[in-house]
Amino acid sequence: MSDFSRREFLKRSVASGVAGGLVLTGMNRRAEASAVTEVGTVIDLTLCDGCASLPLPACVSECRDKNKARFPEPIEDIGNYWPQKKKEDWSKKRGLTDRLTPYNWTFVQKVQVEHDGRDHTLYLQRRCMHCDNPPCADLCPFSVLHKMPEGPVIIDHDLCFGGAKCRAVCPWGIPARQAGVGLYLKIVPTLAGGGVMYKCDLCYDRVKAGKIPACVEACPRNAIAFGKKEEMRALARERVKKIGGYLYGEHENGGTSTFYVSPVPFEKIHAALLKEKANQAKPGLPGFPGMSVGVENMTESANGIAWTMAIAPVAGIAAAVGAAYKTMKGGGGDVE
Amino acid sequence: MSNDRGKIKRHGLSVILTHWLVALSTFVLIFSGFGQMPLYGRYMVDRIPGLSWASDFSVTLLIHYWAAAVLIGAVVFHLVYHGIRRDFDILPRRGDLRDSVRIIMATFGFGEEPENDKYLAEQRLAYVFIAFSLLLVIMTGILKVLKNLPSINYSEGFALWITFLHNVGTVLVIIGIAVHLGAFIFKANWPLLPGIFTGSIDREYAKERHGIWYRRICDDKDP
Repeated sequence: MSDFSRREFLKRSVASGVAGGLVLTGMNRRAEASAVTEVGTVIDLTLCDGCASLPLPACVSECRDKNKARFPEPIEDIGNYWPQKKKEDWSKKRGLTDRLTPYNWTFVQKVQVEHDGRDHTLYLQRRCMHCDNPPCADLCPFSVLHKMPEGPVIIDHDLCFGGAKCRAVCPWGIPARQAGVGLYLKIVPTLAGGGVMYKCDLCYDRVKAGKIPACVEACPRNAIAFGKKEEMRALARERVKKIGGYLYGEHENGGTSTFYVSPVPFEKIHAALLKEKANQAKPGLPGFPGMSVGVENMTESANGIAWTMAIAPVAGIAAAVGAAYKTMKGGGGDVE
Repeated sequence: MSNDRGKIKRHGLSVILTHWLVALSTFVLIFSGFGQMPLYGRYMVDRIPGLSWASDFSVTLLIHYWAAAVLIGAVVFHLVYHGIRRDFDILPRRGDLRDSVRIIMATFGFGEEPENDKYLAEQRLAYVFIAFSLLLVIMTGILKVLKNLPSINYSEGFALWITFLHNVGTVLVIIGIAVHLGAFIFKANWPLLPGIFTGSIDREYAKERHGIWYRRICDDKDP
């Protein structure tokens, strides 16, 4: 460092460090504040009877009726997902109402659970939970799922490629895939893409217009409550306290907008659902979710190491300053 | 200046380490990133013995994050280290596009190659292309990491653009790597290869093909 003063070295170090740091982190400013989850629902299992007097639960029939114009109309000759010899085509089974499909965005599960010496028959309306930090939206490789400011998680059907990753990272496997429809058909349908994913959007169009979701409106026993999320949380907690029951959805997957109130522990409900699924003709089929208690959000472990992205530039700067000083000291830095 | 009489030092240890950290982390990022697409389940890569984890998003996401931290650290090191040292040999200069064409033509036996500095004109252009692509994936990647945090949400349009640019950046990086490696198809470039492993290249080759650089460092050493 014969013709190179310590002062000059420090000056360059600071200038280069600031420049490097700005280049790599400057765009963080675009990060916006968290979207406020404004609406939520409470599903009270002590009130739902599965609309025993009707051929189909009212929430299910109303949902199907309301969304039928958005149901997929696939091409006739749907190819397999090469190199695999399979595809997901529910178009010939549009009448299915006992699971989630691209043509059935909500359904009611019936379980029988023994608790405290009593047998309980419970009916559970199932659909997207509209999570606070939805892994489906976070991890979609094309960002075609979005957590809207009002709370619902929606899928852009025009841009969805049908890779079904959203279903894989959803603890309940909610989104349903239909092949033979969507953007992938316009690219290389034989080699890439799988269709379009469908699920409940909490009647986002109605919510935006200040109305309540169709299923909530249709419920004849007021088993589904809809309102501001925090009010729904308070309502659910109050109801749980009153009946000495159990709450599901408040902490699962990092928190959701859907609160289930039950007179029996959800561990028992989950076990009963798994048993029922195992007894189905095709237990591997998607669309029949369990209710795993305390299920973790898939982004949690990755978020836990997000700090490394902040530490890395600092470590890089420190190492660079040290290395540069070492090589320049004594004028030994002619070749790099 | 030289390890032995027949060799000349081209890169210091910092450059070699940075290059390989960037290369290794980028390859890991590309592999784990394609795992996020999701490709490995569909194309049955996870059925290859030892790769069953490849279609597990929770695993590939963690790998992606760790590799990203290594890449960011290495890139910041590169920027700051050479910023302090004022090592700007690899930055493009006026006429590099024209000289690159001349070098490529000369490779195929048409015309004479211009006299080169430490880096060939085409190497300087390739550097900018790869640097731009890496900075694009890093910046959009940081924004995607922030998006995954529970307290941060983006508008539909912003999320779409960030993801689109991250994917485009990845394609550009792959093209850049392909071109970078493709250069070594040509025998004329082979003598440069040892430089990124050992730091030294053949003195006669440097004298002949990198005359400007060779004369400069000789002058520096023997004023």
